[in-house]
Amino acid sequence: MTKQKAAPRFLNLLAIRLPPGGVASIGHRISGVLMFLSIPLFAWLFALSLQSADGFDRAAAWLHTPPFRLLSLLLVWSLSHHLLAGLRHLLLDVDIGVDKARARASARLVNFGALALAALYAGSMLL
Amino acid sequence: MSRAAQGLRAWLMQRFTAIYLAVYFISVLFVYLRAGDWDYPAWRAWMGSPVMGVATVLFSVGLLLHVWVGVRDVLIDYIHVVWLRLLLMATTGLVLAASLLWVLRALGLAALAGGG
Repeated sequence: MTKQKAAPRFLNLLAIRLPPGGVASIGHRISGVLMFLSIPLFAWLFALSLQSADGFDRAAAWLHTPPFRLLSLLLVWSLSHHLLAGLRHLLLDVDIGVDKARARASARLVNFGALALAALYAGSMLL
Repeated sequence: MSRAAQGLRAWLMQRFTAIYLAVYFISVLFVYLRAGDWDYPAWRAWMGSPVMGVATVLFSVGLLLHVWVGVRDVLIDYIHVVWLRLLLMATTGLVLAASLLWVLRALGLAALAGGG
């Protein structure tokens, strides 16, 4: 009698090739969590900017520091991806673009569209 | 309310808030960028105006609800240790509530200053 092998555990994340819809989906989650984590920081900055003329200048100065520029690039990607993927989700909810070919195409549009918007933002920062 | 209805309520809430957040964000960004250079008096007058005040309070509350439903889903999917999940959910609620109150306070003060 042959001994049954244990079920293979395959959790090498780098070896898993997600389809475009899977990338759009996990990107939606990651971008949402990133924006959530940045809420306290931006609530504080928003309040600081409204507090006084001095606070306004300090908030603007913070926004122009290199770490904030890097963070803002990450958040522009997050926002773009989250917005596009969310829009795709809403359209799928009302049965628009549900067939496989169109769902894959719209997922690619979301994934690359968000990266393109982030690249555009990075370019505008360098000007 | 049954568990199924609770799920439906969260599902609907996520979609309604998503639509408002998207409309607010895109229109406010458009107005902000069109106006060009901002200084403190213009910025405070804008945020202190009744229309922006009400729209921004709605945005902040909608954002809190949207984030709460989303983060809760993520925590339920990935965190299976019950006490840790509850701790993270409580922390999320606290962080969101504190941020919301801080923004509301700033908006209220700007509205008062704008009226005077």
